[in-house]
Amino acid sequence: MKRSVTPFVITAAVLAFFYLPIVVLVVNSFNASRFGGEWNGFTLQWYRKLLASPDIWHALGNTFTIAVLATVGSTVLGTTAAFALDRYRSRLQDAHYLLVYAPLVIPEILLGISLLLFFVALGVELSYVTIVLAHVTFCVSYVAMVVLGRLQDFDWSLVEAAQDLGASPWVAARDVVLPLLAPGIAAGALLAFTLSVDDFVITFFTAGPGTTTLPLRIYSMIKHGSPPLINALSTLLLALTTTTVWLSQRLLKEAR
Amino acid sequence: MSDFIQFENVSRQYGSVLAVNDVSLGIGKGEFFSLLGPSGCGKTTLLRMLAGFERPDSGRVLLDGVDITELPPERRKVNTIFQNYALFPHLSVRRNIAFGPTVAKRPRREVDEEVDKMLALIQMRDHADKRVDQISGGQKQRVAIARALINKPAVLLLDEPLAALDLKLRQRMLIELDMVHDQVGITFVFVTHDQGEAMSLADRVAVMNHGRIEQLGRPVEIYEAPQTSFVAAFIGDSNFFEGVVAEVTDVEHVLLRIDGFDDLRAFNDKGLHEGDRVFLSVRPEKIRISREQPLGGPDHNTTRAVVDDVIYLGTHTRFWLRAGEYRIAVEQQHNRFVLDEQPIRWKDEVWLQWHVDDGFMLERYAESDEALMAIPPQRVGESNAGLEDGGRG
Amino acid sequence: MAETRGLLERRHEPWITLPSFLWLVVLFTIPAAIVFAIAFKPSDPFGGIGAGWTLHTLASLGDPNYPAILWRTVWLSVVTTVACLVLATPTAYYMARVAQRWRPLLVLAIIVPFWTSFLVRIFAWKVVLHPEGPLKHALAALHLVPADGSLLYHSGAVLLVLVYTELPFAILPLYAAAEKFDFRLLEAARDLGAGPFRAFWIVFLPGIRRGLLTATLVTLIPALGSYVVPDLVGGPTSEMLGNKIAQRTFSDRNLPHASALSALLALAVLVPSVLAITLSRRGDRSAQVKP
Ligand SMILES: Nc1ncnc2c1ncn2[C@@H]1O[C@H](COP(=O)(O)OP(=O)(O)O)[C@@H](O)[C@H]1O
Ligand SMILES: [Mg+2]
Repeated sequence: MKRSVTPFVITAAVLAFFYLPIVVLVVNSFNASRFGGEWNGFTLQWYRKLLASPDIWHALGNTFTIAVLATVGSTVLGTTAAFALDRYRSRLQDAHYLLVYAPLVIPEILLGISLLLFFVALGVELSYVTIVLAHVTFCVSYVAMVVLGRLQDFDWSLVEAAQDLGASPWVAARDVVLPLLAPGIAAGALLAFTLSVDDFVITFFTAGPGTTTLPLRIYSMIKHGSPPLINALSTLLLALTTTTVWLSQRLLKEAR
Repeated sequence: MSDFIQFENVSRQYGSVLAVNDVSLGIGKGEFFSLLGPSGCGKTTLLRMLAGFERPDSGRVLLDGVDITELPPERRKVNTIFQNYALFPHLSVRRNIAFGPTVAKRPRREVDEEVDKMLALIQMRDHADKRVDQISGGQKQRVAIARALINKPAVLLLDEPLAALDLKLRQRMLIELDMVHDQVGITFVFVTHDQGEAMSLADRVAVMNHGRIEQLGRPVEIYEAPQTSFVAAFIGDSNFFEGVVAEVTDVEHVLLRIDGFDDLRAFNDKGLHEGDRVFLSVRPEKIRISREQPLGGPDHNTTRAVVDDVIYLGTHTRFWLRAGEYRIAVEQQHNRFVLDEQPIRWKDEVWLQWHVDDGFMLERYAESDEALMAIPPQRVGESNAGLEDGGRG
Repeated sequence: MAETRGLLERRHEPWITLPSFLWLVVLFTIPAAIVFAIAFKPSDPFGGIGAGWTLHTLASLGDPNYPAILWRTVWLSVVTTVACLVLATPTAYYMARVAQRWRPLLVLAIIVPFWTSFLVRIFAWKVVLHPEGPLKHALAALHLVPADGSLLYHSGAVLLVLVYTELPFAILPLYAAAEKFDFRLLEAARDLGAGPFRAFWIVFLPGIRRGLLTATLVTLIPALGSYVVPDLVGGPTSEMLGNKIAQRTFSDRNLPHASALSALLALAVLVPSVLAITLSRRGDRSAQVKP
């Protein structure tokens, strides 16, 4: 049967659409022209300027601190949540599932404003802490879903086998459950980390006046700053995430 | 045999399902014991209570005279071969086998030595460092056995260990299991839904149904003298007849009145009296079919029937016949003698005969049990000419 | 009742459930309730929340400004969703039919652009659509746009960038559904006389309806709540509800007003979600009807 070429053409167009702005951005980060309308020659000056800017380094530091704390918190909470959801069937778990699922389908801006109002109503001053609390809250659901997905393939008879062979529940958890679920938990943690690093909307609503994260910094650069610097920054970020993901994929493959 | 393992009035309920219903059972030391029954009858639950994964709602479990009901699984001298083997996928074959001794904190050197011995025993020395997903199904089972036996358990539990294997391998592993049992001499409790496995391996079999033990005995007893319609239909096939005792003829035999038959006699091991309602079970292969009227006699029941269906099954032929309201299954081997005769065909009128002692009176009968048979009877009226109606020529 | 022994027994349930449960109750459910509560509060002149209760804030949503913004939010989101489905369905179809070994590569190709920061992706379009940018030059040279016209700061730009940011989220669930689809059904339909387009329409689309439903929800809901995209590439004539919420929060510091708008947005999100859930339930039931 002859197949239509329309799907292929649309797929190709979609991919071109996806990559067009990124290519333009990367190319322009090496473009001496300030507005990128034409090619004024190759330059690294934007990168030099960017790396010389203390603001960026400061924001980067904040972002990573927040992301690490949010990752640790949400990984612990998300993993326990996933275990509970996988292991038990009860009214409590029905409500629990709803609670875990809802943040995934609610627009970020609603999460942001509701947390802002919550902190204002409690009289809590916005700061690092409020950002971390907010990030843990929305990351928990993602971690829980990733770990839950892995748990569904987990064979609980392995735990029984371990106990059958003399392992106490604690030893079974340490020697069997943990090593087998580590990749799933790590994947959840990695997701939480990237979500936290990249989050703008919720951070925007819950950040105190003095706290700047990288997305907040980028936002104000887009609003008021110099486009070529953002080009350079974006290219660096793209390179960084690509290598990170590539590396983690390689590590996963080797582990297997 | 002294009872090494004892279940005392053990029950276990899940929601509204009574998975194990007041089971009392003794298993002797060194015995190869089998729990046999259809899926969902409670075999695994009973086994898991012995392993320690489930607590009974009521009743006690004893091992070597000691109440172990409350003992957690890691403290029982019992090891399990799981249905899917439950080998640890993140450990090598060697480290799977070493799991028990390692957890028990035995010295490293000692553990290594014993693992080597086990590897030699299961002939897996060359595969010791492979991951468990790199070995075959049969090898997995051997690793599972080694992993259990290295702990020198008092009892080895096996939950359908052959179910995951294909037919040929299953037959080979069946023999291996038997050899292992002979070598180590410990008690085996073997769960299966496959009557062939239970019959060929076990010293004794407990047939389970709906959480209860229907019948307990040696394989021969179970097959030759089923006590309930469930056992008769689940293990092999059977014909069932319903009637009343017309007369107690002697200490051992009774005369039955069954609609559509002349006098039928049967072995009276239940001590029945005149007027008692009975269900009679006769296995298809115990009935002889012939064109000519066979010689009768007090030891034989003889009756006429019409052939409804003839099904050629390679090793034997199954006939469905009609006699009165009953459809009767009869099986006949193909030996020279039978092949030489003029073949019996659809609609032929023939004679059926069986020995009086081959008919068994049942303690319990349920019509639904007939659906368990390998080739369940069709209801009268649904019949057709059959696959091989014998009327070709 | 007795129980299964081992790791995570029945009695451990509260201990393993409560950490995440309490966290989400305190930092998700209670804040959500507060949003609705504060919508009934007056504002105070210092940017805080006034005392007492009032319907005044909600009543002010009747201001002719808001229905227009609500309407724009809805149509921009619906058009974004439709555009995403129209592009994503053939793409998913292609990905599911291409040889097995190309599929992970295609999935990767779809995901990689989204490893960049969300803001950066939007910014990239600002560069592309910039009045001095390459696209504008090209289009002006072809006389497709007037030389002094702008590609930015109107609803068209918002729509384009919304489609750009949401499209992968439409493709992935559709691809997951299409990969499970039995393509022999299409051949059977052709065999029975349906044209290729008709077969696609009456066999393939119903076959991936769960994927279509998921794709619709995961594009529609974020689009309804979008704030950054209209903020960065839109203009005053393309503001959406999200912009108004942020504006009331940060510029006007009128939190009760922001709450009322958020409650409105929550309702706007709830309607399609509930609709989708009932739709999928009904779909399941009708699928069970015997022929
Ligand atoms: N953990 C459980 N929760 C609920 N019902 C169960 C559970 N385990 C077993 N059952 C039920 O108990 C009955 C017996 O199960 P099982 O012992 O596994 O049977 P078998 O091993 O003979 O197939 C079945 O009806 C099964 O559905
Ligand atoms: Mg079982």
